[in-house]
Amino acid sequence: MPPIADPDEDLVRRVGDGDAAAIQAMVARKLPRMLALAQRMLGDPVEAEDVAQEAMLRAWRQAPRWAPGRARFDTWLHRVALNLCYDRLRRRREVPTETPPDRPDPGPGPDRGLLAADVGSRVDAALARLPVRQREAIILCHYQELSNIEAAALLEISVEALESLLSRGRRALRAALADLRPGAEGA
Amino acid sequence: MTAERFLALVEAWGADPRRWPTDERSAAEAFAAAHPGQARAALAEAESIDALLQASGSPAPSLALRDRVLASAASAGLQARRAGRRWMDRLGLALGAGWAAAACAGVAAGVMLGTHLTADAEADAILYQSSLLGLDDTEVLG
Repeated sequence: MPPIADPDEDLVRRVGDGDAAAIQAMVARKLPRMLALAQRMLGDPVEAEDVAQEAMLRAWRQAPRWAPGRARFDTWLHRVALNLCYDRLRRRREVPTETPPDRPDPGPGPDRGLLAADVGSRVDAALARLPVRQREAIILCHYQELSNIEAAALLEISVEALESLLSRGRRALRAALADLRPGAEGA
Repeated sequence: MTAERFLALVEAWGADPRRWPTDERSAAEAFAAAHPGQARAALAEAESIDALLQASGSPAPSLALRDRVLASAASAGLQARRAGRRWMDRLGLALGAGWAAAACAGVAAGVMLGTHLTADAEADAILYQSSLLGLDDTEVLG
């Protein structure tokens, strides 16, 4: 198998060497991505910060022994963060008395203005209500902008199965947010 | 590419060709160019979903989180492993220089303040005593 080109390869090597500028650059490059991933997976800002911080700690530990060419560092870091998210989602299921941070869909409301924040909240709530695999597929492909091959590998499914998850997820979102789409005003 | 495949691809991956599978992107773009009537409605539909997804804002890391993550690099032992504590030494030097500068500033301020207060106190004493007792400056100061 030919070595996998990794845009982070040089940065990871310098982080592994303890280069302070590289460490700061890695934080600037990866922390927002890990935080966004965890926030959308968990829907809880405090838990998302914990996951992002733990994922970055594991990145620091991994960097000195990272072997380039076998995988992209960004894909590996997504794997770490996703596993941390799965652990937390599993714990939520094991503690049924706890209320999951599932945000109810506020709905359109008769005099609800379509402010950007309102639309964002509606979308977040609709995403949170998707089955977890559909949500993951949309998060990885749309928000994290991973390639179809990377996203499928992370989810341990074929690209065809990933496409099916995306189609179902987007159809569910379209139905849940039908009133927000262009031309739906007054509908 | 068939119309059916184009519609399935756009429904799953959205309207932006950059998200389409690389091995089908060219064929899908060619289909859209060759059949604009069929492609337009599917792309518009997908675009409206893409736009809604974009309305979900990404959280920005707080400064506190950023600082914790930066600090965790040192606790993970990065600097000691290969670079001989290079950046930690730099951090130590910077912190040491900061403390030294702060100490110097404190001493200088103390000296200036002391001088200033001494002069003020002397002036007050001169004015007070001369007004009460009719002493002149030389008697007060000696």
